[in-house]
Amino acid sequence: MNRARAPILKLGETLVVSVQEALMDADLVGLRDELVAEVKMYRATCVIIDVTVLDVLDSFAARTLRHIAQMTQLLGARTVIVGIQPDVAFAMVQLGLTLQGTETALDLEDALSRLNLKLGRDRRAQ
Amino acid sequence: MPNELNVPIRSEADLVTARLRGREMASALQFSSSELTLIATAISEVTRNILSYAGTGDLDLRLVRQGQRMGVSIVARDRGPGIADLFSAMQDGYSTSGGLGLGLPGSKRLMDEFDVASEVGKGTTVTMTKWKM
Amino acid sequence: MADHESLLPESSIPGDEVRRRKEFLEFTDNDVSVLEGVNEVAIRYADSMIDDFYRHLMSFDETRAFFADPELLKHVKGMQKNYFMRLTQGNYDQVYVAERIKIGQIHERVGLPVKSYFGMYCFYLRAVLGRLQEEYKATPEQAFKVFNSLMKLTFFDMGLAIDTYIESRERTIQGQQEAIRELSTPVLLLRPGLLLLPIIGLIDTLRARQLTEQLLRSVRTNRARVVVIDVTGVPSVDTKVANHLVQTVEAARLMGAVSIVSGIAPDIAQTMVRLGIDLRRIRTVGDLQSGIEEAERQLGYMVVKNEAAESEDGK
Repeated sequence: MNRARAPILKLGETLVVSVQEALMDADLVGLRDELVAEVKMYRATCVIIDVTVLDVLDSFAARTLRHIAQMTQLLGARTVIVGIQPDVAFAMVQLGLTLQGTETALDLEDALSRLNLKLGRDRRAQ
Repeated sequence: MPNELNVPIRSEADLVTARLRGREMASALQFSSSELTLIATAISEVTRNILSYAGTGDLDLRLVRQGQRMGVSIVARDRGPGIADLFSAMQDGYSTSGGLGLGLPGSKRLMDEFDVASEVGKGTTVTMTKWKM
Repeated sequence: MADHESLLPESSIPGDEVRRRKEFLEFTDNDVSVLEGVNEVAIRYADSMIDDFYRHLMSFDETRAFFADPELLKHVKGMQKNYFMRLTQGNYDQVYVAERIKIGQIHERVGLPVKSYFGMYCFYLRAVLGRLQEEYKATPEQAFKVFNSLMKLTFFDMGLAIDTYIESRERTIQGQQEAIRELSTPVLLLRPGLLLLPIIGLIDTLRARQLTEQLLRSVRTNRARVVVIDVTGVPSVDTKVANHLVQTVEAARLMGAVSIVSGIAPDIAQTMVRLGIDLRRIRTVGDLQSGIEEAERQLGYMVVKNEAAESEDGK
């Protein structure tokens, strides 16, 4: 899969995927496999997928995103989807694609701040 | 900007082209940004069906007029296996499981007019229209 | 699309619709020749008819009001004469149709009530009948024939004019509805990250869509984490509205915002349950205050009363 289309960055225990342009189906599947491998390798606890750039999220894309979330969860990591635009969100719910069960945040900044909050709380709890 | 356009659907790259052309054509009628996304999403769904079930097909985009109003018409046709149980395919499960199967009821919700003609062994034609109010 | 249709402005009736109407009225080429045949008679009677016509209009307060301005009256009389003459000149084609539509638009814009419009046509037809009886005293069947054709044509005209009349009104109504919608759906930023969307009145599909769009854009602009959607002011909720609500909540969630729906009256809650709406899909509270408190709680706010300030005021 072409890494340039969706580079994966590592920020501590978090992996951040920034989708650069509309991904072909094969790319999405490849991304899924690659993410799973990296979660395992780095023992990541969180995967953030940024889809800000996507102007359409159809049923296939939604399914794949959910698969990614389910698989990473099995490996002990949580997935957060960020950057769904207002128009895209609207079209998705019309189609019945709610990504139920998958975490979402407004954008990367939002997701990271929520993670820090949680980390902060977890640390205090210890 | 032509009033009619045919986009042959042979591979995934054409899916992206179809969405783009659909958006371009519809924007000539000054649909809102939200409506353009609905149209592009509906195109994505039906075009994906063509690729998944028939392998190849065609997408016809057309600007249409009916009395006072104008709209965009999208015809997705293929010579694939056809839909055996059209009635069930059009049933709205509306589950949160992410749009299973052909996603036809969902696409119908995105557009104003929606029609499916299909014959087993012959192929499927989906016609949908969105009007600029 | 025929070329001439693209040239004519927004209001236009397509060729085959015109044909259908003529067929329905049984207006044929024969009628066309009959009318052309009395053109000379029409020319002779034009001025006296117009004068009678306006004398009638000016004798009633309601219609006189429209022609208070003498310049306007003169202008309108001239146009009326042209209209009158045009009826017997033949060639009732697309251009004729366009002209009639324009007349309807003008009358509507000026605010002429439909009843006056019909009253005028009635007076006109009766006045013509009188003239025809005079003209064809020796051959009354001819008067009937001409009147018959003229009636078909006048009704054709009335149909066209009234149609555009109604259409103009509808466009005005739509514009006003649009304005009302804009005014009545403010999305308010209560605190950083907290949006309030108070919905008042009945929601139809279009309004629901606009509300959702506005809310989602606001979530993005204001980086909202929590949205309180207050439906206290919504009198009734049917399946469609309930579904719109659920969709709005789900769409906001896709953008990372949690929604709290407040103000669902007990009977509305009952309706929703009976309609099979899965209320687990949305977080609801009884009233707006609870909704805001819950939202603040989720955002980590705590509202504390300032005791010191109160005792100062007491003095």
